Amino acid sequence: MSFSDAHSPISDDLASRRDMIVCDNVNKWYGDFQALKDVSATIKEQEVVVVLGPSGSGKSTWIRCINRLEVHQKGMIAVDGVELSNDLRNIEKIRSEVGMVFQQFNLFPHLTVIDNITLAPRWVRKLPKSDADARARALLDRVGIPEQADKYPGQLSGGQQQRVAIARALAMEPNVMLFDEPTSALDPEMIKEVLDVMKGLAESGMTMMVVTHEMGFAREVADRIIFMEEGEIVEVGTPEHFFTDPTEDRTKLFLSQIL
Amino acid sequence: MSEESGVALESATEDDIDDQPMLKPEEPSLPPGEWVQKNLFSSVFNSVLTILTIVVMAFAVRGLLNYIFSEERVWSAPATNARLILTFAYPESQYARVWVTVGLLAVLAGTSIGLWAQWAGVSAKKLCFWSMNLGSGILLAIVLTQPGVHRDAAGEVLRDADSAVLRKSFATAMSDRLVWWIVGLAFIGAGLLAWNWLGEMRRRTIRVPSSALIFGSLGLIILSLWIVNYGHYAFSDGEFIAISGRTVASTTKQPWTVMWLILVGSFFLGRRISQSQRAVSVKGLMNLAWLLSPFIIYWVILRDPSIDYSHVWTTDLPIFLAFAIGGGAILWLLSYPGIGEAGRLAGVGLVVVAIFQFAAAFTGWYPMLQKARISFVVLALVGLAASNFSGERSQRVRFVGVWVVLMALLHYFATVMNSPATVDVVSENFTGGLTVTLFVTALTLMISFPLGVVLALGRTSSLPIFRIMSTAYIESIRGVPLITILFFFSNILPLFLPDGMDIAEFAAIILGYSLFSAAYLAENVRGGLQAIRRGQYEAADALGLTSPQRTSFIVLPQALRISIPPLVGQVIGTFKETSLIAIIGGFDLLRIGNQVIPAQTQFLGIKRENLLIVAAMYWLITFAISKYSMRLERRLGVGER
Ligand SMILES: Nc1ncnc2c1ncn2[C@@H]1O[C@H](COP(=O)(O)OP(=O)(O)O)[C@@H](O)[C@H]1O
Ligand SMILES: [Mg+2]
Repeated sequence: MSFSDAHSPISDDLASRRDMIVCDNVNKWYGDFQALKDVSATIKEQEVVVVLGPSGSGKSTWIRCINRLEVHQKGMIAVDGVELSNDLRNIEKIRSEVGMVFQQFNLFPHLTVIDNITLAPRWVRKLPKSDADARARALLDRVGIPEQADKYPGQLSGGQQQRVAIARALAMEPNVMLFDEPTSALDPEMIKEVLDVMKGLAESGMTMMVVTHEMGFAREVADRIIFMEEGEIVEVGTPEHFFTDPTEDRTKLFLSQIL
Repeated sequence: MSEESGVALESATEDDIDDQPMLKPEEPSLPPGEWVQKNLFSSVFNSVLTILTIVVMAFAVRGLLNYIFSEERVWSAPATNARLILTFAYPESQYARVWVTVGLLAVLAGTSIGLWAQWAGVSAKKLCFWSMNLGSGILLAIVLTQPGVHRDAAGEVLRDADSAVLRKSFATAMSDRLVWWIVGLAFIGAGLLAWNWLGEMRRRTIRVPSSALIFGSLGLIILSLWIVNYGHYAFSDGEFIAISGRTVASTTKQPWTVMWLILVGSFFLGRRISQSQRAVSVKGLMNLAWLLSPFIIYWVILRDPSIDYSHVWTTDLPIFLAFAIGGGAILWLLSYPGIGEAGRLAGVGLVVVAIFQFAAAFTGWYPMLQKARISFVVLALVGLAASNFSGERSQRVRFVGVWVVLMALLHYFATVMNSPATVDVVSENFTGGLTVTLFVTALTLMISFPLGVVLALGRTSSLPIFRIMSTAYIESIRGVPLITILFFFSNILPLFLPDGMDIAEFAAIILGYSLFSAAYLAENVRGGLQAIRRGQYEAADALGLTSPQRTSFIVLPQALRISIPPLVGQVIGTFKETSLIAIIGGFDLLRIGNQVIPAQTQFLGIKRENLLIVAAMYWLITFAISKYSMRLERRLGVGER
C-alpha cells in the first residue's frame, strides 16, 4: 500500500512542494531474511513524517538506507533529486546533506562538545575554524546548552548528549534530518528536553523523518504517520486519521497495545 | 513516586544553600593495631601465611644486602668504568660533545615538564609516611646485614686457620653502624614530627609540588657528589686511578651540577611560557624538537660530520630546491578545492611513478641519487593525501610550507648521514653503552610506530589486498626470532643491495628492530581498533567524513588510547631487547658490563657487580616508562568512556 491512498490526503500546499526523499519499491535482505518489502514513500520539503511500528518491523533499516548506512538491494532511493548509487562521492555528498541522530547518541567521546560539532563542518565543508566555532556555539544556544561547549560527552547527561548530537547534525546545515528513536535510550525526565528541541526544529521548517515511540510527539508534530510492520508499510495517514480512525486491523492492534 | 521526587528536591535545595566548600571528611583509617589484625592476622591460616612471608622476605632481603655489602664485591669496577657504561669509548678530547648532548636533553626535558606537567603534587601526609618508611627501611637494613670482616693494617681481610673470613661480633657491627642508626632514626623522627605538627591540617590536603620534590632530590644527589666521599675512580690515559676516601672526580661533579642548573632553569622557563600567549606554538616546537633530537644528537653532535660543501652547492642544494619548489607547486595544485577527481588521479599517478622509479633502483635501470628517489616517494604519498588539506588559501599555504620544511629536514639529514664522521671511535657502530641502547630504542619507536599503525589499519581494512599483505607481513615477522632478523639485517642485507646502495650497520640494526617491533605494535593497535563501537563509524559516515578522515580523527585516536597499556609493554620490550645488539657485535650496555670490563687487567673476571649495576639501570628506566604510562592512561581516561 502506498501513501497516495485515499486515506492519506495530501493537502494542496504539500503537493506543490519539492520531493526531498523518494523511495520506490525499496527491498532489502539480510541474508535470506527480507527486512524491507517494496517500501515506497515520498517525503516533501518541510514535511515531518513519523514512522511507527513494532520492534523489528524494519524502521531502522529503512531510515538507515536513506543515508546509505545500509545498502538496499532492489528499488530506488533519491534524496533531494540525487539517486543513491555506489558512487563514493555521491554517497558522501548525500550524507553531508542528510543529518542523522541515533538512539545511542554516538558522540565522539575523545572530543569536546565543540569539537564534536565543528569536526565535520571544518573537514567536509572546509569552514574556517572561527566560523565553525561560531556556528557551533549558536547551535548549542539553540538546543539550550551553551555552557557545555568545552566539556567531554562523558560529562553530560543523556538528554544533553542527545541535544549535542542534534547540534552536531545541524552544523552541517542539512536539508533533511533523520531521527532513529532519539529518546529511547533516555531516562524519562530527559525525554521532554530532547522532544522540545525537535519540535522547535520542526517549526523552523526542517524536513524530518522520525522513528519514535512517543505518541504525544507523533500526534502533535507529525504531518503524516507511516505505520510499518514486518518490513512493509501498512498504513499512511495524518495523525488525526491515524489515531482516531485507522483502517487496517494491524494498525488497530498495534494502537490498542501501545495506548 | 511523589514522595521520592520530594526527597530528591529537598536534597537538591540543601546542596544549593550550602555551597560552602565542605571539608572532606578524613578517610576512615583504622589504628595500626586494628589494621594489622584485620589485614594480616584475621585467621589462623592468614597468620601462618603472614609469618611465613615475612620470614621468606627477610631472608631474601638479607641475602641481597649481604651480597651488595660483601667484602668480596669490587664496586670500583663499575665505578671506574662509569663512562664506558654510559658512552662506551667516546674520545676523551671530544667529551664536551657528550655534555652538549646531555645539556640539550636537559633543556628539552626541563622545558617540557614546565610546559606540560600538571602534577597534582604529593600530599604532606604521604611525605610523612615516605620519610618514616625510608627510616624504617634503613634500620631494617642495619640489623639484617651481616657483620663486617676484620681487616689488618694493609686493608687485607683477616682469615682463620681454615681460611674462612673472621667476622666482627653482632654488637660491634651494630655500633660500627652508628651513623646509619642516626640517619634512619632521623628520617623516622622527621616524619613523626611533621605528622604531629600538621595535626588538624592533615585533613586539608596540603600538597608539595612534585616538581620541587623531583628537582630537589636530584639536586641533593648531585650535591652529595661534592660532599660525600664516594671515592675517586677513573681511567685516565689508560691508567687506573682509585683513591677511596675522596669525592668523585671533578670531571664528573662539575658537569652534572651544570646539567642540574640547566634542567631547573629550563623548567622555570617552561613554566613562564606555559602562562604566556605563545604556549601553544611553543608546545608544537617542543614536539618537533623531541622528534628531531635523536637525529641531531647522533648524526650531528656526536658524529660531527665533515660536510663536503662543494658537493652541497653543486648537487644537494639544487636537488632540494627542485623538490621544495617543484613539489610545492604540485602540492599547491593538488590541494585546490575544486580539483575533484583529477586530483585523486594525479595523486595515484605520482604513486605509480614513485613505485616504478624505486623498482628501477633495484634493477639498476637508470642511475639516480637515492635522496631524490626517496623524496619522490614522499612527494607521491603527500600528494595522495593533498585533497584532505584543500581549502582556503591560508590552509594551502600552510600545507605547502610544511612540505618545504619537511624537504629541508630530509635533505639536511640525508647529507649529514652521508658525510664521514670526524670523531674517532673504536667501534664500527660508532657509539655504545647506554647511549646506543637509548638511541636504538628511540629511533626504533619512531619508525615502527607509524608502520605498526599502517599495518593494523591494513589488517582491518575492507580491501582484501591490504588485508592479505598486512596479515602476511605480521604473521611472518612474528614467526621469526628477533635475533634472526637482526643477523639478517646486519650481515645478509648488505649483500642483497644493488651496487651503489649502501647501508650503515647502525641503520641496518635499527631497520631490523623497527620491522620486528612494527608487527607487534600492529597487533596491539588492532586490538584497540576492534574495541571501537560500530556507532562511531556510523556517526562519522553520517556526517559525510571520508574514510581517511574517519580513520584519523575518530577511529585511530580512540584506538590508540585504548591500546596504551599493550603499546607501553611493547616499548619496554624493545628497550630491553636492545641488549641483543651485543650478539651481533655491537657494544651496548650489557656487553660492556659482561665482556668489556671483565677483560680489563685491573678488573679481570669482575662481572657480577657490573651486571647488577646494568640491571639496575634497565630497571630504573623501565620503571620510569611504566610510571609515565600509568599517568598517561589516567589523564586520557582510558576505560572511562
Ligand atoms: N545487521 C543485521 N543483520 C541481520 N538482520 C538484521 C540486521 N539488522 C536488522 N536485522 C533484522 O531486520 C529486522 C528489522 O530490524 P530493524 O530495522 O532494526 O527494526 P526496528 O528498527 O523497526 O526495530 C529485524 O528482524 C532484525 O532482526
Ligand atoms: Mg530500531
